[in-house]
Amino acid sequence: MSRIVTEARGGMAISIRSPLARLLNNRSLRDSTLIAVLAVIWVFFNIATKGTFLTQRNIVLLALQTAIVSLAAISAVMLIVTRNFDLSVGSAVALVGVVVALLTVKYGVNPWLSVAISLSVGLVMGAWQGWWVTRMGVSSFIVTLAGMLYFRGISMIATNGATVAPLPAELKQIATGFLPPRASIILVMASFVAFAGFRIVELRRGFALGVVSNFNAELARALLPAFIITIAVIWLASWQGIPYLVGLVAVCAIAADILMRRTKFGTQLYAIGGNPEAARLSGIKVNRVIFQNFLIAGLAYGITGVALTARVSGAIAGSAGLFLELDAIAAAIIGGTSLSGGRGRIFGALVGALLMGSLNNGMSLMNVPTFYQDTARGAVLLLAVAIDQLSRRNAGSRP
Amino acid sequence: MNAAETAAREHGNETEAPPLLDIRGLTKSFPGVVAVDNVDLTIAPQEIVALLGQNGAGKSTLIQVLSGVHGFGSYSGEIILGGAPFRPASVSEAEAGGVAFLAQEVNVAPNLTVGQTMALSREPTRFGLVDSFLVQARAKAALADFGIDVDPATLIGDLDLATQQLVLIVRALSKNARLLILDEPTAALTDREAARLFERIRALAAKGVAIIFVSHRLAEVFEISDRIVIMRDGRINGDLKTANTSRDAVVALMIGTSIGQVRSSKQAVPGRTALSVEGLTVLPRSGDKPLVAGAGLSVAHGEVLGLFGLLGSGVVETAMAIFGAWPGKVSGRISVDGKAVSIASPSDAVQLGIGLIAQDRRDGLSGSHSILDNTILASLDALSKRLGFIDVIGARRATMDLFARLKIKAETIDTLVDTLSGGNQQKVQVARWLAAGAQILLLIDPTRGVDVGARAEIKRIWVELAEAGCAILLVSSDAEELVDICDRVLVYRDGTVTDVVQKSDLSEERLLRLAAGV
Repeated sequence: MSRIVTEARGGMAISIRSPLARLLNNRSLRDSTLIAVLAVIWVFFNIATKGTFLTQRNIVLLALQTAIVSLAAISAVMLIVTRNFDLSVGSAVALVGVVVALLTVKYGVNPWLSVAISLSVGLVMGAWQGWWVTRMGVSSFIVTLAGMLYFRGISMIATNGATVAPLPAELKQIATGFLPPRASIILVMASFVAFAGFRIVELRRGFALGVVSNFNAELARALLPAFIITIAVIWLASWQGIPYLVGLVAVCAIAADILMRRTKFGTQLYAIGGNPEAARLSGIKVNRVIFQNFLIAGLAYGITGVALTARVSGAIAGSAGLFLELDAIAAAIIGGTSLSGGRGRIFGALVGALLMGSLNNGMSLMNVPTFYQDTARGAVLLLAVAIDQLSRRNAGSRP
Repeated sequence: MNAAETAAREHGNETEAPPLLDIRGLTKSFPGVVAVDNVDLTIAPQEIVALLGQNGAGKSTLIQVLSGVHGFGSYSGEIILGGAPFRPASVSEAEAGGVAFLAQEVNVAPNLTVGQTMALSREPTRFGLVDSFLVQARAKAALADFGIDVDPATLIGDLDLATQQLVLIVRALSKNARLLILDEPTAALTDREAARLFERIRALAAKGVAIIFVSHRLAEVFEISDRIVIMRDGRINGDLKTANTSRDAVVALMIGTSIGQVRSSKQAVPGRTALSVEGLTVLPRSGDKPLVAGAGLSVAHGEVLGLFGLLGSGVVETAMAIFGAWPGKVSGRISVDGKAVSIASPSDAVQLGIGLIAQDRRDGLSGSHSILDNTILASLDALSKRLGFIDVIGARRATMDLFARLKIKAETIDTLVDTLSGGNQQKVQVARWLAAGAQILLLIDPTRGVDVGARAEIKRIWVELAEAGCAILLVSSDAEELVDICDRVLVYRDGTVTDVVQKSDLSEERLLRLAAGV
């Protein structure tokens, strides 16, 4: 992308971007690289599995397999954007799982009340870690490394290492149930219409304010991807409908994306990640924002923990969520989140999670042994980040 | 009669309105140093006050207390703003109380857009969401009002330093503050941009805003201010009506004595050629319109060669390219001491005895490390001859010598660089290259953000280094500095050398005319 330096009126040198650069801004260029990589992998697996990979059944399965990592990756992006890490996700999720399983299985508490209590427990865990980071000034790496150890330890103590199962049917339904095809399709179409309507109203306003110069081009750029996704989802939903769990991921992702890109809080996260000192001097209460950031991570523990426990229909303190934090961070990084902070998007992380999940799913279909799968995933992680670096260097943005 | 009114009466008959700001007995200490020592100061609405003082005189600390950078409780004394006690714990509280602050260093989050930067921490919202189009529209209007044609959707990190500074200035000006504090706002600006800034400052003052601004450019102080407050050693050493004083009087109050002549009286004896560059072409990181097109230069040992040009003329890029630090493509022939060399990275340049002092001090120094750590950074190879272990004693001794020789003002060589003033930070960079035995120094705006007294001192260091046989390439946007110490100045226009001015013909006016092509 070219940056052109021109002499503006008044003789000040300023830089603007060429129209092409503006249309294909950094972000969409990077996104398209990632999606191209994903497409190549999908086509490869589809050929290698003689068409089994790209069936409605398998893609829905893939979405379900990816759901837990996606949920964890959403909160990972938000933390990494402010230069914080969360290594405790896997253990925290296991602990929440233990809470919900013990409440329902052992004490017979109402399932929905149990879920509410579990979400609160997640929030408390997030607040606890946020307190150490913001009040005591301990680095998040250390706080969550410790959390990784004792959250797992507490889970083991509470269950004595035994599996707590089975969960009541209502809860299992979260992870295994489907919204019927007809209802799903209506919901997806309604969402698209709502999104389009919202975008049109918004762009009109932008046009009236004089900051949107080409209304139609902007609208097309916003609606085209949404339209493609809508068609794809309708195709998938026509098989059995939308799994509730996948719907949950979608709702969380959309909420998080709005929070990140459209709210004051999100802008503050990006500002802190980009330059904490500049953020402080701009009047942002950095510590408070980071604390809230950890609260959201805590909410994510709750949601992910309940979803995971429901999916496997019980809490297994020793193995539930093992290495989830690493998968979540990997998904975020593949999705373009910068470890040095200030850069990262929710939908990128979802594509990253999908990419990792596709490798597992595809290789399993090809009967590749697990050990080889891990090796391949490691290689892909490295390669994806390298490609991202290269594409950014060529795009001329800062490293 | 309340206390604020009493203070106003005492201050003078013409300030009939109660003062907007009334500082009483303000004292702020850091470990080992009293930065602000029992300061009393009142400022009326509509007043434009220039705050002057040498390095470490306490002016930065004073305005940092006012703007909440040093929160309430970390200092003693009382601040009354608009008749009520003003005790900000943070920058955001100070802003909420009506005090807007523009820090000296250009400090932005490079990943935000210009619009987001300008709206940061006071974003307009609609239905709870940030109204991003309104953010952009407001930014566009505010920028246009200031005559800056930048798309608010551009990432601020993609703009050059001066434009970033302009954006931050526009942000500070549009905050509806009662008291606006600007710390060296013009350091990165051209004269034209500075003039426009002053217009805005006057307009704001006319609306009743009080303004404190720190500057080291006396010309602009006299142009814009109503009052000049001079600090020295943490105290107020002079409080003068601008109309009733002179530059000499102000300078005398700042430094106690008059500044000596910097420029070496003896004509430099040109030695062997240290660095020669031919056909240097520098391309931007992306795109193919060269920033420097076929420039050539040579510097001899003992010579100070100046490079002067307006923003975008290619002078900075020339120095970065010679040092191997330019991220885009570079071509051309470079020789050092007569031998053709290839410099692909800064480490190659350091090996060849070339040192660079960067435009932005934060690029050159590690603030959270000590003077010692920063000084030995470029000479680690020489200091770790024994099996790769660092010769700690040798490192300390070398650093102590340079610490004394350069008169760095700090408690010890273990003091953190972050706590030093701009001038002293610059000296640490000099120390680093002296420790590394660099014979060729590339300087890019080395006195930006450094006060008058330290500036003279630093300029003297360049001259001394040249006399000791160093070759110095000085890239500066400050024509006065070049006239003071250069033996020769190359003037750049549109990426190439258009004129050479010898020492006998040097004058600020001549340089400015040549650079502008008139």
